[in-house]
Amino acid sequence: MNTALNLSSGPHVRDRWTTRFIMHVVCLSLLPAAAVGVAVYGLRALWIILVSVITAVGTEFLFDKLLHKPDTWKDGSAMVTGLMLALTLSPATPLYEPFLGSLFAILVVKCCFGGLGKNFINPALAGRCFLLISFSNSMTKYSLVDGVTTATPVEELANGNPVNITEMFLGLSNGVIGSSILALLAGGLVLWALDIIHGQICFSVIGAFTLFMALFGGQGFDPHFLAAHLCGGGVILGAFFMATDYVTSPVTRLGQTVYGILIGVLGAAFRIFGSAADSFSYSIIIANLFVPLIDTYIVSKPYAFRKKAIQLQSGEETKPFFKRIPKPVIALTAIALLAGVALSGVYSMTKETIDDQNRKKAWAAYQAVVPQAVSFEEIPEASEKSDDVYGSDFGRTYLNEAVVGKDASGATAGYAISVTCAEAYDGNLTLSVGISPDGAVNSIAFTELHETPGKGSLCDDPKFKDQFNGRSVSSFRLLKDGGSTKEDEIDGVSGATISSKAVINAVNAALDFYQNSIRGE
Amino acid sequence: MRKSFRGGVHPNDQKLLSKHAKLRRFDPKGEMVFPLAQHIGKPAKAVVKKNDSVLVGQVIGEADGFVSANIISSCSGKVKAVEKRRIISGAMAECIVIENDGLFTTIENLGESTDTDSLSNDDILLKIQKAGIVGLGGAGFPTHVKLKPKDPAAIKYILANGAECEPYLTCNDQLMQTEAPAIIAGLELVLRLFPNAKGVVGIEDNKPEAIAAMKAAATGHDKIEIRALRTKYPQGGEHNLIQTVTGIDYPVAKLPADVGCVVDNVGTIFAIERAVAHNEPLFTHVLTVSGDAVKEPGNFIVRDGTCFEELIEACGGLKEGAVLKKVLSGGPMMGFAVGTLGVHVQKTTNGITMLAEDPAEDAARRMTACLHCGRCTTVCPAGLLPQLMAEAAEEKNWERYEKKLYGLECVACGSCTYICPAKRPLTQTFKQAKAEIQAIKRTAASGGAK
Repeated sequence: MNTALNLSSGPHVRDRWTTRFIMHVVCLSLLPAAAVGVAVYGLRALWIILVSVITAVGTEFLFDKLLHKPDTWKDGSAMVTGLMLALTLSPATPLYEPFLGSLFAILVVKCCFGGLGKNFINPALAGRCFLLISFSNSMTKYSLVDGVTTATPVEELANGNPVNITEMFLGLSNGVIGSSILALLAGGLVLWALDIIHGQICFSVIGAFTLFMALFGGQGFDPHFLAAHLCGGGVILGAFFMATDYVTSPVTRLGQTVYGILIGVLGAAFRIFGSAADSFSYSIIIANLFVPLIDTYIVSKPYAFRKKAIQLQSGEETKPFFKRIPKPVIALTAIALLAGVALSGVYSMTKETIDDQNRKKAWAAYQAVVPQAVSFEEIPEASEKSDDVYGSDFGRTYLNEAVVGKDASGATAGYAISVTCAEAYDGNLTLSVGISPDGAVNSIAFTELHETPGKGSLCDDPKFKDQFNGRSVSSFRLLKDGGSTKEDEIDGVSGATISSKAVINAVNAALDFYQNSIRGE
Repeated sequence: MRKSFRGGVHPNDQKLLSKHAKLRRFDPKGEMVFPLAQHIGKPAKAVVKKNDSVLVGQVIGEADGFVSANIISSCSGKVKAVEKRRIISGAMAECIVIENDGLFTTIENLGESTDTDSLSNDDILLKIQKAGIVGLGGAGFPTHVKLKPKDPAAIKYILANGAECEPYLTCNDQLMQTEAPAIIAGLELVLRLFPNAKGVVGIEDNKPEAIAAMKAAATGHDKIEIRALRTKYPQGGEHNLIQTVTGIDYPVAKLPADVGCVVDNVGTIFAIERAVAHNEPLFTHVLTVSGDAVKEPGNFIVRDGTCFEELIEACGGLKEGAVLKKVLSGGPMMGFAVGTLGVHVQKTTNGITMLAEDPAEDAARRMTACLHCGRCTTVCPAGLLPQLMAEAAEEKNWERYEKKLYGLECVACGSCTYICPAKRPLTQTFKQAKAEIQAIKRTAASGGAK
């Protein structure tokens, strides 16, 4: 009866969760995002995912076998790495890239540093960054659903263009395979609810990122702007799945919060001041490198040695929570709140005035280009088209507003069309084009021009802008080196081709609108 | 949700196996073995020798000094030997071995009721001391020492620990159901020693019958409160019970008395009542025999010195087809594995857990590298960082282990090892680390003396 009883140190029962189980749950939580990726971008995305996962697991398998290591390839961690890497790739990536990325991630970053639990940076992100550096061209190309390569929403944002947040949220816009925020959030929140990932990390990443963006992003607490930034460029994927990687995140709650804030701030700073699309990959990797430092210095004391416990041990009463907050903190919070309320109050009070001012400024420009008019009426077709880039031949030019000017007798005195070209040398330039009832250009007037003084700014010089006056053509052409002879030729401002081009694009867009939507009626 | 200490784990409590088994008295037939050291402090001195006749209730080992405890015979018969025997811990230790005559003839006056109202505080303490009562929760600290703190007036709480948070164990549950009035009476006796104290009986809320019985018995006792505790391991740990009831965390270097508490197991309180009011020293206590390998799990009032094997036979032996893998003295979280069933019940043995499946063996096979998942940190009831402690222990960085990570605050509750998905033997590492650090300190101290 009593032969060979097991002897071992306690405890003698164990929780059912294993390393493998956790890894599989993480994989499952990534599946919705992968599924949306395949549904939106097609089978090509599936191939990328398969190549990446199979390479990751296969590499670890071969490493284990060739070096006679324990079979760690079965533990599911390689699968997680492969899947995560695939989700950070563009669906347009050639298949050898996920192969090389996974190989690098597992072989160099994971296995060579001692395998599971020993890597110093997140292997999937390391793989991605390896690809970014090695294939910077194809890695930064993102194809739309129809295969046309264009900018990602984050790049659009960086250029100050509007983006479609709903599409971004659902994962229908252009980006990496795992760009469906809805699916990622679903998976991430499940992991958080299961206590597999630490809320301190993901929420501090998102919080710090949002706050930094709001403070330094240049658009304040504009919910549309912040939401667009949160939905793009892997913030959610990074916050919930990459930053929370166990091995490369700190141990203590405080350490995790510090680490999360570091990622959020770096990510936002890189996005504002540097490369738009890959800010998060780099910010997480940099924060990974700080983890050993954080774990060495930020170690929490056991409960019995914390301030409150020591007070209680000596019989002191502890103050209720709000009384334990130092007074300066309360004061600062109150001041911040008051300032916030005051600012928003001032904003809402002055908003109307500011809008009014802008309106007046625009109307003054209309008046300048259609001097005979005494009143203006809006042409509704123009505002309908104002959300998107106007036409396809004018670069990134937007139609703001078009008005018809009436003289004292009520007859049409001319038209004024306000256009913005986003491809000027320094961002946007906005101008109004006045067109007489017979279709000739009256004159143009700038309402927004930040071009280089002495160069692009000379667009506002009569020598350049008066060239348009009185001409009746369907569109203008730029002669960079001057010497125009024909009616439709305009001499550029010397040394400011981009600015001149932008002005001509804007004027041509206005003419196009006049010909098609006003006169065409 | 009920207020509770931070951290902790929820192992499957397995209590249904024996929950409804009523307490049974078990009279053993074979030889009885009484180690002289089954309490914290100095071992007792044997006061009987070979061939002496002894009776039930007779003192056979006398306390050696204040922090020590009497050993009482639980059977009648002849002393067979005073010799080294293998005890539960696996060590060979000095034991009194009695050839049990099976008659259980008692000493005079045993079980005679006393009018407790006429007793002074010193009388009560003396009776407790003579009865050889030690903490029955597992530690075995002599109770008369615990009840004599420097300043009795500073004690605010007498905590009767009925949490019974170890999986499988149900004997205290049954004891509270059947002996609730005696436990309340015992607690009143203890409260007489502490003028400013209030009695709190803490019971995990997975024992509603025990809570109801204790509440009924406590009606009219103004100084006693029956408190349901959240079911969570290690709710019955001294630190955690105090934390839950008073909100105070205290370091291992301090005693409960330093934070105004005295904690006694409900079994100990019951033993106090038997000793003080019924002149019955400590030679029986409650014990659960359970586990997936035993045929009929049960709860017993067991005599000290009984052989494990006899108790297991009393439970019908092994379940058919079960292969016994492991036998634990106590529950599976803090109990320890015994190498043979030939060991004998001590005062502090509150359970025998018989396992056909050994999750620890399984865990050793499935161990992976540490994931740094932080689950150990989340569950540690002391707020330690087991993951970093294990790293420091591996590097033998004792400076960091002790000073920065407070590694010696670990009470080896096993929560971290239980929860670890990588199945790493953390608790074992910490026990070894503690032993190693203490060894280093001893060497340093003796080196200094030279």
